[in-house]
Amino acid sequence: MAAAVLWWTLRAARQVLPSPCPRQVRSYYVDWRMLRDVKRRKMAYEHADERLRINAIRKNSILPKELQEVADKEIAALPRDSCPVRIRNRCVLTSRPRGVKRRWRLSRIVFRHFADHAQMSGVQRAMW
Amino acid sequence: MKVELSYRKKLQQLKANENTKQAMNELEGLDSEGSVPQGTTEDTQRGKPLNPELVKAASAVASSLPRNKKQTESELLAQLRRHEETTDKQKKGGAINIRNVILEMTVKRQSPAQRGARISSGISLQLDEDGRRIRPERSSAQSIDSRRSLKVKKRLNIFTKASTEPEHTLKTVSPPTIWDLEFAKEVAAVTAQPPRNGFEEMIQWTKEGILWEFPVDNEVGMEDDAEFHEHIFLEKHLEAFPKEGPIRHFMELVICGLSKNPYLSVKQKVEHIEWFQKYFEEKKELLQEI
Repeated sequence: MAAAVLWWTLRAARQVLPSPCPRQVRSYYVDWRMLRDVKRRKMAYEHADERLRINAIRKNSILPKELQEVADKEIAALPRDSCPVRIRNRCVLTSRPRGVKRRWRLSRIVFRHFADHAQMSGVQRAMW
Repeated sequence: MKVELSYRKKLQQLKANENTKQAMNELEGLDSEGSVPQGTTEDTQRGKPLNPELVKAASAVASSLPRNKKQTESELLAQLRRHEETTDKQKKGGAINIRNVILEMTVKRQSPAQRGARISSGISLQLDEDGRRIRPERSSAQSIDSRRSLKVKKRLNIFTKASTEPEHTLKTVSPPTIWDLEFAKEVAAVTAQPPRNGFEEMIQWTKEGILWEFPVDNEVGMEDDAEFHEHIFLEKHLEAFPKEGPIRHFMELVICGLSKNPYLSVKQKVEHIEWFQKYFEEKKELLQEI
């Protein structure tokens, strides 16, 4: 029946369409350094498997040394931004590189601000 | 009204039944000759048939061990069966068991006099002034009540079943036209009101995929249908490698590590090994110089 077909399309459309109510959508990163950090994270994710395998060949006492030297050169030839060491855990809201607590990904200043306004669940001022 | 759990006794009965069943199984296994085809027929008789390869492997292992072969074979098969049952249960989520628990629970009624007595006894312990010791009376009243208690029948009719109409076959089989889709979108846009409260907002987010479904299912999107032996016994992928030498040694270590890794799927493990294969093939000339 056409009605059943219509009902099905309605259902699908309702799920596909985003709601008309306005919602905050972050379209800019806080600053360029944050953008660069994001790019580094993406690259590190892409090359993570390769790096792991080449490192497994390098850090080895079984394989011949010549092979390991070749592997050394290979890993050095990978793009520089693909190594995870270059990632810096910045604050998510202010892009502050220092004083960032890992659990909340926020810098100490922002953390304090939210905690004092009771917007951090389960966080309380210490008193003992 | 108090809900009485008469579940403990039933659990004990179930356990007793299981033990007798297991004893019967082992006896049957011992009685039959320990040859493979008989073993397979036995397994196929009991519910889900085990993988014939697994059965053959179990019989081979049992024959290699020095002690009582038939017993070891039956024990191994029983273990495998149990393993499969637990994996099946976990896959289903065990929601069925809760239903059984609820069905077995009975409802117990408390007369208002008893309730009043309880409240008063709660306020001041041991009311002996009126000479009314409520405790011995309680037990007799309770036993009478439990006999009269509402027994829940097997069908939990909490919710009315949605009439399962057979889906009408589309008479006009043409797919929905573009106009239909547009109309549907318009209607959806008009009727989709902004959420009135936090709950509706969360519902919307769950539909869009922003919010997870609770209780959290750790295995969303992860459908690993591979058996355990595909994860552990990876030596069959090592056929392309030379049989001796440092490379073989290295790859055996790699496989040992992969077999202990619960986080990768079988595909990923195979890809890992294939990458190494490609790498060593490219470096073949270099290796032959050495």
